[in-house]
Amino acid sequence: MARMKFICDAERCIECNGCATACKQEHEVPWGVNRRRLVTVNDGIPGERSISVACMHCTDAPCMAVCPVDCFYRTEDQVVLHDKDLCIGCGYCFYACPFGAPQFPQAGAFGLRGKMDKCTYCAGGPEQDHSLEEFRKYGRNRIAEGKLPACAEMCSTKALLAGDDAVITRIYKTRVVTRGKGGEIWGWAMAYGGSGKLADQPGAKS
Amino acid sequence: MRPVLLVAAGLVLAACNEIPQDAPKPYAGKEDTKAYASDTFKGDKQKYEQTLAERAKYQDEYQRTGDAKTN
Repeated sequence: MARMKFICDAERCIECNGCATACKQEHEVPWGVNRRRLVTVNDGIPGERSISVACMHCTDAPCMAVCPVDCFYRTEDQVVLHDKDLCIGCGYCFYACPFGAPQFPQAGAFGLRGKMDKCTYCAGGPEQDHSLEEFRKYGRNRIAEGKLPACAEMCSTKALLAGDDAVITRIYKTRVVTRGKGGEIWGWAMAYGGSGKLADQPGAKS
Repeated sequence: MRPVLLVAAGLVLAACNEIPQDAPKPYAGKEDTKAYASDTFKGDKQKYEQTLAERAKYQDEYQRTGDAKTN
């Protein structure tokens, strides 16, 4: 069974925002909601590093644990999704998430918070696949079409990798061996538990 | 004296262990259809997984250029 994950290669990310733009365009995400965004450390200083951040679809997802209405679920591919019909927009998931993934649209005056919105791994949500309702609430369902998330497919330097963990860790390993550095996978240990070192991943051992 | 202290320390520290008290929470929302149940795959899970794995491999540009080092 596939376990869908993201890897962002900090050695390659050039902070072009192509991933964030692709996500916005693909799902017609409203203003103020950023399912994916770029974070740059030591901006402007030689050696700065950028990372593309979105929901990491954690193995032991804290958002699922704290949700008071139990609106989160996990697909067979280990993608963490939620039902917007149940979400009450309380914001607990935002405080629980180590990646700041949950987003809340400003639904009206006085800073009223709408239902939570986050990266769906381009897997839609609990509505009829490819229906207008699914697109309106969750965005496009690329996974059901056999495609990977738009952010990763659009990435110009292929810094952002998406797919089955065994496949993408193998790709990452080839890179690390070829360039001779950067064996730490950002966010991996926090999202999926265990080690964040490439050498410890199952795909990298073959 | 020392064994008594060790036993006492063991008993005191035993209370520091935090045991999860909540059962895993069930999902309360609508049932989602499987990704491979769509018209593209018509329920063929193997074909779905194979298609995604093949697509993921396109992200490896070394595969195209043949410049990769192997260890």
